[in-house]
Amino acid sequence: MKASVGDVVLPGDYCEEISAVGEKAKVIIGPGLQKEIDHVYVTKAGILKKRNPNTYWVDNYQKRYIPARGENVIGVVVQKAGDIFRVDVGSSTTAALSYLSFEGATKKNKPDVQIGDVVYAKMLVASKDMEPELVCVDSHGKKGRMGVLSDGFVFKCSLNLIRKILNPHCPLLESLKNEWPFELAAGMNGRIWIKANTMRETIALGNAILGAEYLSDEEIKSMCTNIATILAGHVS
Amino acid sequence: MAGLSRKKLQLPKSVLEMKFMKRTKERIEKELENIHGHEGLYSNIITNEMRTATGNYIPEASFIYCENLIDGRLSFKGMNPEIERLMDLETPKEEESGEMQKDVSDEVLVKNMNKFKTRKRQSLTPSKYNVPSKKKK
Repeated sequence: MKASVGDVVLPGDYCEEISAVGEKAKVIIGPGLQKEIDHVYVTKAGILKKRNPNTYWVDNYQKRYIPARGENVIGVVVQKAGDIFRVDVGSSTTAALSYLSFEGATKKNKPDVQIGDVVYAKMLVASKDMEPELVCVDSHGKKGRMGVLSDGFVFKCSLNLIRKILNPHCPLLESLKNEWPFELAAGMNGRIWIKANTMRETIALGNAILGAEYLSDEEIKSMCTNIATILAGHVS
Repeated sequence: MAGLSRKKLQLPKSVLEMKFMKRTKERIEKELENIHGHEGLYSNIITNEMRTATGNYIPEASFIYCENLIDGRLSFKGMNPEIERLMDLETPKEEESGEMQKDVSDEVLVKNMNKFKTRKRQSLTPSKYNVPSKKKK
């Protein structure tokens, strides 16, 4: 069936608008779209979205993570195998993380990573047919924001929620950031790591994030003020 | 293949004739032979279209670039100063593009400036009040 931007689409639908634009200019086709010989076909069930310049993708509900190059994920180290760590990122197979891909690591100076540690890493290789590969350094060899996440609390959620809170227009972090000190790492694989000074604050933060999934922007703002007042002890 | 080899920089013949370039010369000749061999072998399969075709479609597997998502590692109110320093390094760029914040709005400024100007003009233009004072001196 033909589909246009903003429609609810199903796998097998095709979009002529994208093909028409593709005749003249470069088009970026994101997740859920696939170019075949005759048309651009939809491969996921969701809403067809567009952003200028010429970027199309399907916004779908999903909980299973499919590795994609360049995404930051949260993984749990499950095995040390020679010179790599195997990291569970929630995909079909574990990802490989070389012990040399940490800042300042050499063959003699190995990084201090144990089984069970939570790491925030970037997908370097994400191919259909190969084991995904992670790194904990950027292209300059600096660790940047990546590395082992110590203390804190990890919970899982849908991939949509991650995308929702990391959207620059989302009011959630904007309304929480001035309330109490906290640290957060959101992996594109549907895992969130949070850390605050007290257990009450950590739980409040976790509830605020999980509660935001099906709320509108206005509702998120009021929920955040609610949680902040309860936490401050004004309402018990 | 043919297109690629044409684009490739080639050493001038005079240089290749030199004694010490013998091995390189042999290598280049072998490469050329290989290319021609391949072309003969697959000429019925490889079409001209396959050599020149380019696509306008760029596949992108990640939502990050589609939805313009921010980095997922954040810290607020001094929980992790290292992360906050990195966040500060990235934010100023965004602020530059936006309009700067003002303590005094444009309308109030215009009103006040007009008031100021009229007052100034009044004091500068000689009036019957400040003329006699000069005379006294």
